Amino acid sequence: MKIQQMAFMLIAVTVFFALVGMFVLTIVFSNMKASAAVLEEKNALLLASRLANSPEFRCGNAFGTERANCVDFDKVMALKKGIKKYSQAGFWGVSKIEIVKLYPVRGSVLCTLENYPECGRIEILPAGEGKGVSNFIALCRKEYNGGQVQNVCELAKIVITYKG
Amino acid sequence: MKINKTPKRAQLQVSFAWIFAIIVGAFILFIAIYSATKVVKTGDTEVSAKAGKEISALLNPLEIGFETGVVVLLAVPVETRIYNQCDTSGNFGRQIIKVSQKSFNTWAETDVEAGFPNKFIFSDGVEEGRNFIVFSKPFEFPFKVSDVIYMTSSNKKYCFFKAPTEIKKELQGLGQENILVESLECPEQSIKVCFSETVGADSGCDITVDKMQSSVEKRGEMVYYETDALMYAAIFSDKAVYECQVKRLMKRTEQLSLLYDEKRSLLSQKGCPDTVDLQSLASSTGAFTNSSTLSSQDLFSVAITADQVNKQNDAATCALW
Repeated sequence: MKIQQMAFMLIAVTVFFALVGMFVLTIVFSNMKASAAVLEEKNALLLASRLANSPEFRCGNAFGTERANCVDFDKVMALKKGIKKYSQAGFWGVSKIEIVKLYPVRGSVLCTLENYPECGRIEILPAGEGKGVSNFIALCRKEYNGGQVQNVCELAKIVITYKG
Repeated sequence: MKINKTPKRAQLQVSFAWIFAIIVGAFILFIAIYSATKVVKTGDTEVSAKAGKEISALLNPLEIGFETGVVVLLAVPVETRIYNQCDTSGNFGRQIIKVSQKSFNTWAETDVEAGFPNKFIFSDGVEEGRNFIVFSKPFEFPFKVSDVIYMTSSNKKYCFFKAPTEIKKELQGLGQENILVESLECPEQSIKVCFSETVGADSGCDITVDKMQSSVEKRGEMVYYETDALMYAAIFSDKAVYECQVKRLMKRTEQLSLLYDEKRSLLSQKGCPDTVDLQSLASSTGAFTNSSTLSSQDLFSVAITADQVNKQNDAATCALW
């Protein structure tokens, strides 16, 4: 009888500690998930301001003097062609990168090599869902008319989507 | 006879209960201790992984590239080791950061690493301390390839002895507390960085920069550089990290050359005259990165091609960068 009582008691104690342990682990792991989400968000917010100035996007001195938050439209269209290498490497660590023209308004026609620059939206990293952050940019390109090269800039925003 | 039998049975009953209690008690204690250790280990791993990712987020402002001379202080509450590792596989390679922190006076080792294909951090293989000082400089070859990041522990003091004027000005502008610029004497226990054009070979230098040969000698090992950004990289990092990161930088240069070549092709369709030969730079950097025998010593040949391409771009009607 005594042994039975003790056995039940010990099983009860074990089950109690197991439950407490599981409860603690749930809290720990939920905190970990929250921290990961905060870090992802922080990274995406900083990336939105940084991306326009990264070598794959920036205007550099191609349109006169160097300027901040200026994206080279011609370069971006070239990048779209070879984006597979960047997406396979998870180069920017985000799920989607898109540029939307704001002014002059061009609608939501997707840019392709055939219709560019007469379009309104460039999907650079196309697939991916999640939360989005954006930053205003100048989208510049070269126009060549009768031996004259013109620099044309439009107002746009770069939108980055990350898994939140 | 009766007197003898009763205590024997009682003795057996008591001892079985005790044995049972001890076995189950020990089992419960073992499970409890094992779980506690696991939870502490998971906690340490979590802290290290978080620190690795945090470092990446903190380095973002350094890469905007417009504010040169920005210094970022990475302060951590406990003694920390940052392992700088580098991997050259794939199209871009990977910058790997591992963080280990002191917990109960022992280093909590972890296998968790944070990897970034778009970052280039130059430092010794292991940097240790509570404060890490980080600054960056753009690397252009001939177009901007990346902002290279230099990371040093505040425990290490670098003394630039009799540095040339432009380097002196740049370093003084940084106002970095662990970088001293001296022309008379360096403090003891500082790492003395000398320049062969201003200092003789007998001055007890830890690092010697030869600007004529574009080389840096550190701990008896020689590495070669092109541009000031790589000169600083060679000073602040050890040979293994430096050579690996140079290969990664060349990999990105190759990919950017192909990107600019694609842009050139798009512009030529619009009517812009086609004058920049980027394929030569792409193949030159490709040969450098794919070879296991080529090292920074062979960087000068790539630099010659980069220089030619830059001249073509400067003269072009539609500049590519």
